[in-house]
Amino acid sequence: MKLRKRILPALAGVGAVLLAWQLVCSTGVVNAYVLPSPGRVWQTFLKMTASGELFTGIFVSFCRVLKGFFIAFALAFALASLRILVPGSEPYYEYIVQFFRNVPPIAMIPLLILWCGIGETTKTVIIVLASFFPMYLSIVKGFTGCDPRLLEVARSFDYSRGRAFLKVVLPSAVADILVGMRTSLGYSWRAIIGAEMVAASTGLGHMILFAQQMSRTDKVIVGILAIGVVGRTTDWALGIVIRRFAGGTAQNGWN
Amino acid sequence: MDGIEIVDLKKSYPLENGVLTVFSGLNLSLRSGAITVVLGKSGCGKTTLLRLVGGLEVPDAGEIRFHDARKTAFVFQEPRLMPWLNVRDNIQFGLRRGEIDPDMTRRIIATVGLTGFETALPSQLSGGMRQRVALARALVCRPSFIMMDEPFAALDHFTRESMQNELLRVREATDASILFVTHSIDEALTLADRIVLLAGGACAASFEIDMPHPRDLTCDELIRTRRDIMAALSAPN
Repeated sequence: MKLRKRILPALAGVGAVLLAWQLVCSTGVVNAYVLPSPGRVWQTFLKMTASGELFTGIFVSFCRVLKGFFIAFALAFALASLRILVPGSEPYYEYIVQFFRNVPPIAMIPLLILWCGIGETTKTVIIVLASFFPMYLSIVKGFTGCDPRLLEVARSFDYSRGRAFLKVVLPSAVADILVGMRTSLGYSWRAIIGAEMVAASTGLGHMILFAQQMSRTDKVIVGILAIGVVGRTTDWALGIVIRRFAGGTAQNGWN
Repeated sequence: MDGIEIVDLKKSYPLENGVLTVFSGLNLSLRSGAITVVLGKSGCGKTTLLRLVGGLEVPDAGEIRFHDARKTAFVFQEPRLMPWLNVRDNIQFGLRRGEIDPDMTRRIIATVGLTGFETALPSQLSGGMRQRVALARALVCRPSFIMMDEPFAALDHFTRESMQNELLRVREATDASILFVTHSIDEALTLADRIVLLAGGACAASFEIDMPHPRDLTCDELIRTRRDIMAALSAPN
């Protein structure tokens, strides 16, 4: 059933794109330098895989994303929790948070290079800046959207503020937290590629930029495809973790 | 003196253009071990009284004195179950880790007729079953005082009747005091040891019903009480 309803249509979609790509290349409408054929890209992919170049790039970018993503999650969770556990604390940091939310992380790169150099710190900070806000907003929405009637049940059983947070607010916010994590993971991937194109000597972003400078469009396409596949795979892996912990409920906003 | 004493209770809410006074000096004593049913028209302050006694709201003035050891439980109008917890965990929601007694939980689950549904989620239960879980959640704490806010209002006739019997059985077994809010005169006559009528922010009348359970609502005495309640409720405030 799943094969007919999900997998076959997905394969048909990918097949149609590949076919159109091949047709455009075979008719010679587009120069092979501008758009190499699928076969050529496949050959390049095999070579890059065999040499380890592709996996090194993926691994480096992946580690950066994970590091920045989890730092951002910890910060977003701590600040959103503070808002609930210490009422009245929000105005102290909310305006600063909202200010930085409107500043694109890429715009911070010149300043970050000046302060942190072109090492790992700059890239980590960029990922944190890119992935913090969607998670923060979702976590806050999850916490503040907790049904007050359920909190009243906790109060009627003499729950302390901390216990009510752990037993009622947090579980009821799980769906929002997970949706925020999912959005942020996508943002992290976008940000790291941008950062690596500006200030890096390793990673997928650098690999793509370097290939462009060497006029290797086939390598650029392999890099782009790798980003898409790795992003989708991490998204899928997060989905498995979520189904495990959120009980696979239809209400968790995760499909 | 035992039970709960409400002395000169005042409560009002600010409105956009003025103040809504719910209680302007309510005095009431609730006997220990009895079922006190609060009756009144819509908006007379039944739920507010319950929430004040339960500590969910703070009175503007006055006092609520608990003369017995105070272990309370609240049953709301809606089940208010945690959607992510199964029946067993929902029932044990009010207990601390050290207080959980699996035998007791099993017994309560059997009492409310939910054996076999321990691992079901609230979304998998009917409205009546959810309300029974809510009742079990209150009972498993062995409360000495249970507050109930129209807990059976949303149930069909037969489920309501079986839940009422359940409540009476529990009262027999535990000797808990119960403060029960309803707008159904029949429900009040079925359950109450004492019926308190709220009107105009004060206790308008009170009726003692010293009859064993189960009661026949068509007996002369209850028909007479019913008529008196109707008359008191229809009287201008």
